[in-house]
Amino acid sequence: MVWYKSWLDTRWRFLIGLAALLMLACGVIVNYSVSASLLPGLANQPVDTSTTAGRMLADLIRLEQTYRGFVWGQWWREGMLQDATLLAVLLGSGSVISGSKGGLFTLSLPASRNEWLTARAATGLGEFFILAMVPSLVIPILSPLIGQHYSVIDVFAHGLCIFVASAVFYSLAFLLSTVFHDIWRPLLIAIAIACVIGYMEVTFQFNGLFKVMAGRHYFESGSLPWIGLTSSAALSVALLYGAAANVARKDF
Amino acid sequence: MTDSVIETSDLRKTYSDGGKALRGLTLQVPAGSIFGFLGKNGAGKTTTIKVLLGMTNPTSGDARVFGLPAFDRDASVAIRRRMGFVSEDKDLYDSMTVQEITRFTAGFYPKWRRDLEARYIDAFELPGRRKVKALSRGMRTKLALLLAFCRGADLLVLDEPMSGLDPAVNEDVLQALVRHVADEGATVFFSSHQLADIDQIADHVAVIDRGRAIVSGSLDDIRDRYRRIQMVFENDAPSISFRTPDVIRTRRDGRMLTVFASGGANAIAEEARALNAVSVDITPLTLKEIFLESVNASVHAEN
Repeated sequence: MVWYKSWLDTRWRFLIGLAALLMLACGVIVNYSVSASLLPGLANQPVDTSTTAGRMLADLIRLEQTYRGFVWGQWWREGMLQDATLLAVLLGSGSVISGSKGGLFTLSLPASRNEWLTARAATGLGEFFILAMVPSLVIPILSPLIGQHYSVIDVFAHGLCIFVASAVFYSLAFLLSTVFHDIWRPLLIAIAIACVIGYMEVTFQFNGLFKVMAGRHYFESGSLPWIGLTSSAALSVALLYGAAANVARKDF
Repeated sequence: MTDSVIETSDLRKTYSDGGKALRGLTLQVPAGSIFGFLGKNGAGKTTTIKVLLGMTNPTSGDARVFGLPAFDRDASVAIRRRMGFVSEDKDLYDSMTVQEITRFTAGFYPKWRRDLEARYIDAFELPGRRKVKALSRGMRTKLALLLAFCRGADLLVLDEPMSGLDPAVNEDVLQALVRHVADEGATVFFSSHQLADIDQIADHVAVIDRGRAIVSGSLDDIRDRYRRIQMVFENDAPSISFRTPDVIRTRRDGRMLTVFASGGANAIAEEARALNAVSVDITPLTLKEIFLESVNASVHAEN
């Protein structure tokens, strides 16, 4: 019943997220047809790489010379990066135990605070794992329709990077939800923190969470960014531990 | 097996903002009793209940339910397995229907009483498919009671269960509670500031004020002990300091002196006669008077 309640609390966010990502993944396949027809013309145009925009455009044209590069640039580096961050924060927000709306009823039932919290954290993470993996499988499944091939192993490798690194934002929202009783403040604060991290990574060019999420290391070298993944996982565990400690000492 | 289902000893709770909700509360709730827990708003009733349910950690002191420490995490789960609870706000899951929340709650209790569930759904006329958020306050209270009753609980903890109910629903709920206790034999710990309800169904009471129990015991015993002693003197009533420690409050009004006492009424009357009182009348106090005089005396003593 504890797990069932966690599922009830998160199911709509999960199902809407799943439907949206499935549609976006289909959009990548459709976009490739359009992009492939424009590329030959663009590839011959000179690009001024002295500006940031020019460098980005040159990078994009270079990536899209291959189908694997196109999928990485469009899906893993852009679409999933942003959507997964947003969905991670959405799923992590709104803790199962709060002082408002059914919170006292929950606490009066014979289950410990740890059981509620573990079930809620695990349910959300499980749903987020599905979101990180399953919609992307549409790409290898539908690629043959446009005469292309995309590796399932690439889906799992990039999905793992997305899942582990975004789990930090999930855990951050989860921790904030044990501090604030409404769903909005944890959501907005976690998104604001994600925006600041993203801005700093671009401005100061350091390898942070978004670099791990994008999986450029795997795309270019074929090996997973283990240090980034391990650090992200450790940070998530620390944030979830903080949430559990906060709930354990809390008066309702 | 202890004779008291709930026992607290010198229980204290100071919140992080410095507010003292409990200041040494000592209580004993006998097994099988209907225990009325009376107090003004903010007296510490809800905090006490939250401590008993493991929702709030006390600052110091001891609180035991079924002999188990209420603030121990594992023991608290075991306590809640044998306890039914109705919160003041009838806090339930708004998005569930009556059937869904009943099924959901039943999943936590191996001793869930399907027979009682069917009986109360029928008796309370609860619409199974209606969302909890669409229920009236009265219906919501009845649903909360159903969810507490059907757990097969040995202890029902009800925090202001009648608040906001119209008199008809109030009476329905009280009758259901009394009938349930008579049939099932559970102990009821019932917080309220509605004295009439307590007077009607409780057999034991405690009055709490500023986090301390100022009156506690069986209702019959309290009714037997508490007296108003009214004395009339020939001239202005003298200022007397009575020898008995049971005097709660004295009130002088011209020739009349009124003493409220928690015992020793005859000894007080004797003292009054020795001071040449023209007349001395001893009359029993209602629960409302006991409550008001005790709380007023407590406020007086504090100041």
